[in-house]
Amino acid sequence: MAIIETKNLTYTYPGATKPSIVDVSIKVEKGEFVLITGPSGCGKTTLCRTFNGLVPHFYQGELKGEITVAGIDTLKHHTYEMAKHVGLVFQNPENQLFALSIEKDVAFGLENVGVPREEMRRKVDWALNQTGIYDIRERSPHEISGGQQQRVAIASVLAMEPEVIVLDEPTSFLDPLSAEKIFEVIYKLNKEQGITVILVEHRLDLTAKYSNHLIVMDHGAVRLEGDPRKILASEETRLIGVGIPKATLLYQMLKKEGLNLGDQTPLSSEELADQLLEALKPRD
Amino acid sequence: MSVFDGLRFRKVHSPIHNLDPRIKFVYVIAIFVAAIIFYQIIPLLILFLIQIPFVLLARVQRQWLRSLRGAAFLATFIFVVNVATTFFTSGYHFTAPNIENAAAMTMRFVVLVESFSVFFLTTSPDHLGLALEESRVPYEFAFAFTTAVRFVPVLAEEAQTIMDAQKARGLELEKGGILKRIRNYVPVLIPLIVSAIRRSLELAEAMESRAWGATKKRTNLYALKLHKGDYALVAIIVGILIATVYIRLYVPIPTIASFF
Ligand SMILES: Nc1ncnc2c1ncn2[C@@H]1O[C@H](COP(=O)(O)OP(=O)(O)O)[C@@H](O)[C@H]1O
Ligand SMILES: [Mg+2]
Repeated sequence: MAIIETKNLTYTYPGATKPSIVDVSIKVEKGEFVLITGPSGCGKTTLCRTFNGLVPHFYQGELKGEITVAGIDTLKHHTYEMAKHVGLVFQNPENQLFALSIEKDVAFGLENVGVPREEMRRKVDWALNQTGIYDIRERSPHEISGGQQQRVAIASVLAMEPEVIVLDEPTSFLDPLSAEKIFEVIYKLNKEQGITVILVEHRLDLTAKYSNHLIVMDHGAVRLEGDPRKILASEETRLIGVGIPKATLLYQMLKKEGLNLGDQTPLSSEELADQLLEALKPRD
Repeated sequence: MSVFDGLRFRKVHSPIHNLDPRIKFVYVIAIFVAAIIFYQIIPLLILFLIQIPFVLLARVQRQWLRSLRGAAFLATFIFVVNVATTFFTSGYHFTAPNIENAAAMTMRFVVLVESFSVFFLTTSPDHLGLALEESRVPYEFAFAFTTAVRFVPVLAEEAQTIMDAQKARGLELEKGGILKRIRNYVPVLIPLIVSAIRRSLELAEAMESRAWGATKKRTNLYALKLHKGDYALVAIIVGILIATVYIRLYVPIPTIASFF
């Protein structure tokens, strides 16, 4: 069974004249690493908000269609019930940390659902270790860098041991190096813990290689969905204005000129380098 | 950013910082009561002196002196008013007991300031928030308190950024009369307020997403536990109160003038 399934989901914010997401039908399987991309204002954030019921419970407005996440109908269940199954990490790290120490922030969700102290301690320490911030757990949020703050935000949803983690442009406030570290943390959680990841990102150069399911949105609708290698190689994707990885572009240019490096479209510089080395190897 | 350094807090460990804030608060109340019960200079001086070891143990002498200096103006005022009233009511001359009395009233004020400053200088906001959480105060209040402390430096930095940006665009903050100056701050305040509102919406969204309000029976990562130091402080408090009551009832208190 799919972990997330939506059918003809259409949502209009209160007071808005036109819907922000239109007729969205997607299916995400357990353990997938899903990448959502598309021009700004196309409804990515709004779609993320439907996954834990912020839309429509927090934002009100009108939601039509069907959605089940982790087997639960989010229309019938409150966001605080969804929090155990779906963790949301937002764009601005600063505005999702409220406590005076990092470990207290990581514990916040567990405190809210009333987990006993010893069990909480165990889960908090585990989440701190998974995200590599155990050593700074007693610091206060303003003493650490943006990248570390974002890892705290990830740890704080991870501590709830959710089946799905949704990250909405988690690195747009960060420098490229911190961003890469965040992606590595996320990828590790996906691979080692089997957590389903939904990542909204523009920087496909850094992230496409991790994903096995790509969703391209435009004007509130899902335009393309499926295997990232196929979608990123298509002409349509380029026209929507998706930041296609440089390696993929180069591969296609070479292919057009008659130089075929193999059947698999590369998604990162490393993959392309391997293909080039393979092609240039002297044959005997 | 040195202006805002005072708004930041840091986890400090010292025998006094580690004390349970609730017990420390009881200590403030006890000193308060003792300072009200006595009106003679000698016991008030003793109350002043016995708090100095706390200050030294907590290594906050510098901040402590600063808070006393801050109170100096009011203390002088209290002294002068007291001397003046006795001067006018006791037939226009200064007497040693009158001056001593005025000094005692001043000392009482200083003792109160001193005990409050020891409390606030040695209690970190997260400890205070925890004490609030563990007392009967509704959790929402404790949360509001710690979150406010958390965002004060953030907002202060933002205010600075906005001021710099507006100045770069030609805004002159320090120009004109008092009304003009207040009006000058409008282009700083409006973006600050707009951003604070947006920030609070994002905070609310993040709180909802992390199961805010899921159950009335919230648990807490930390627990306030009484340690040896806390029991020692309880003993000190009880000692101060017993001594206060005993001395007040049975011991004649000498005045400084009587020594000469
Ligand atoms: N809280 C809101 N209230 C009303 N309209 C909103 C709100 N948030 C987003 N929108 C609108 O919904 C559309 C999609 O926005 P969003 O989901 O934030 O896109 P993206 O995350 O892809 O940039 C935009 O037209 C935006 O103006
Ligand atoms: Mg967005």
